[in-house]
Amino acid sequence: MAKEPARVLVTGAAGQIGYALVPMIARGIMLGADQPVILHMLDIPPAAEALNGVKMELIDAAFPLLKGVVATTDAVEGCTGVNVAVMVGGFPRKEGMERKDVMSKNVSIYKSQAAALEKHAAPNCKVLVVANPANTNALILKEFAPSIPEKNITCLTRLDHNRALGQVSERLSVPVSDVKNVIIWGNHSSTQYPDVNHATVKTSSGEKPVRELVKNDEWLNGEFISTVQQRGAAIIKARKLSSALSAASSACDHIRDWVVGTPEGTFVSMGVYSDGSYNVPSGLIYSFPVTCRNGEWTIVQGLPIDEVSRKKMDLTAEELKEEKDLAYSCLS
Amino acid sequence: MDFVIEGIDYTSVIQKALVLLSCVALSWKMIIYMCNLLNIEQDPIRVLITGAAGNIGYAIAPMIARGMMLGPDQPMILHLLDIEPTSRSLEALKMELQDSAFPLLKGVIATTNVVEACKDVNIAIMIGGYPRMAGMERKDVMSKNVVIYKAQASALENYASEDCKVLVVANPANTNALILKEFAPSIPEENITCLTRLDHNRALAQLADKLSVPVSSVKNVIVWGNHSSTQYPDSNHVTVSTQAGDRPIKELVTDQNWLKNEFIAEVQQRGAAVLRARRQSSALSAASAACDHIRDWFLGTPKGTWVSMGVCSDGSYGIPPGLVYSFPVICEKGSWKIVQGLSIDEFSREKMDDSARELAEEKDLAYSCLNA
Repeated sequence: MAKEPARVLVTGAAGQIGYALVPMIARGIMLGADQPVILHMLDIPPAAEALNGVKMELIDAAFPLLKGVVATTDAVEGCTGVNVAVMVGGFPRKEGMERKDVMSKNVSIYKSQAAALEKHAAPNCKVLVVANPANTNALILKEFAPSIPEKNITCLTRLDHNRALGQVSERLSVPVSDVKNVIIWGNHSSTQYPDVNHATVKTSSGEKPVRELVKNDEWLNGEFISTVQQRGAAIIKARKLSSALSAASSACDHIRDWVVGTPEGTFVSMGVYSDGSYNVPSGLIYSFPVTCRNGEWTIVQGLPIDEVSRKKMDLTAEELKEEKDLAYSCLS
Repeated sequence: MDFVIEGIDYTSVIQKALVLLSCVALSWKMIIYMCNLLNIEQDPIRVLITGAAGNIGYAIAPMIARGMMLGPDQPMILHLLDIEPTSRSLEALKMELQDSAFPLLKGVIATTNVVEACKDVNIAIMIGGYPRMAGMERKDVMSKNVVIYKAQASALENYASEDCKVLVVANPANTNALILKEFAPSIPEENITCLTRLDHNRALAQLADKLSVPVSSVKNVIVWGNHSSTQYPDSNHVTVSTQAGDRPIKELVTDQNWLKNEFIAEVQQRGAAVLRARRQSSALSAASAACDHIRDWFLGTPKGTWVSMGVCSDGSYGIPPGLVYSFPVICEKGSWKIVQGLSIDEFSREKMDDSARELAEEKDLAYSCLNA
């Protein structure tokens, strides 16, 4: 017996992340090969024709799992009945714009998206914010959609997590699927802290700590961290456009693990509402190591945190606190 | 009842033989089961994408890496080829593929060197080609592309794996594939194909939309001929799965006129419609169709279903041999076979012949460009 279709909303769907993401969703990468989906694609009126073009292509691809496509510029229609919401839409930073300007534009967008989701999405809708500033957009969404359970509002740091896995696997010349349990702490920005202290690599003699195999703390504490932190900028430099393919793929991983569960012994990074774990101030959307089961994420507790990590974790929390203040000042 | 002849107890022998056979069978089952538990991985397959730095390449690379082309258990190594001016974008694609941490992707070779790109590849998706630009005549586009495909032919012939399966996507797809085949004579001609699966999928979608049924309920449309405006989307043998079993489409779509006119025009012109809406040509749906084409070729078509592929004509259905023409095919054990014996009415005959004529003209044009 086929499952009931799940409704998945993608905002900013006419853009390049949307274009990479929708075929992945339609092929079952996000929710599993046996889960039919109905795609809701939302974007702003100037993008209406392009949005319709994407709808045409989705239809032309004859995806067996895709049971319907709603392409709309109306937020209410976009949000109605959705079980998963991937918020890719936002105001991009343009040349000459100050951080305050980007923040100001985006908090208004996320305040109104919050209202639409709260009123029209399905109960227990799972939300993933991708558009930057991701953590703060997610925070605004949470603050202005109080009836959406706070645990259902997350932001994407899985891209950074996957990038970190990729860097370690390149360094060690091992398949990336043999590396696990890196952590991305904090803000999806240049203050993020990619932490390998608990990461392991599968070898013929069992799981071994990454530090032991890399044997180069200078690299792990220096270049590795800055490479992961600045990877987004490196991609922009090479492509003249920001990452779309890898962002879309990571968004699928984030939702899939959340819904289907993380494999035994593996944790992943998600930007989630802080409950004060690891002395991170509560009331922020902060990236933590989590495991997922039965559709719920749980912060991995009890990991030892050394002094170097402590400093970096606090630095990124500081930045998030500043962003929160800036956001509120824009709204007032 | 004992079975004893000349003192030899056959009953006992047979019993012992049966016991022995059961033990062997059981042990074999256990070995297979344990191997699956150990998850012994298959060897990676090498997949080449030419024109990889473009939009279709960007769409197809993650699809392949996620197993949509070769199945969820088949690891792969991607070979990405493009021309020198795109080398930074090509490098960026490689970086993004690494950043995605795909479990099945065992390596990425991003190169502008055609020999390196073609080395040992088992599958070649030829997306690279010279695009038609404003003011260009058909002869000019043809002329640029035949030169490209002649060169690609040698590279593939000399360096690809012997069993390499080739799919040409870049337009003019059928004629590019023909040139490839002519100049790579040691590649078995059944291994050189072109993409008409996009038109096939578009046709299924149009029919599904007309009937308001899921597209997965519609099958066995045929796209005959050239991947151009002379393609013939043929609904005569389409079936739709309903509660009362598979019904021929004629029972469900009473508007024959629609099937013979609007339906055909919609499918033929869909590429242009998407281009108008997006201001860019189809990438997502082309990439997806390319995955479907290879997957069905590789893993086999479902029972009772056929698909459309541009393949070397063997004269079936009165189509001149020596053209790369889209036919209805089934696939089994890594080989395609044209579906024979389908009835062709007069209307269809005319359209099929029109498209064959266009392909013969393209072939002449291509050769004249090469001899110029």
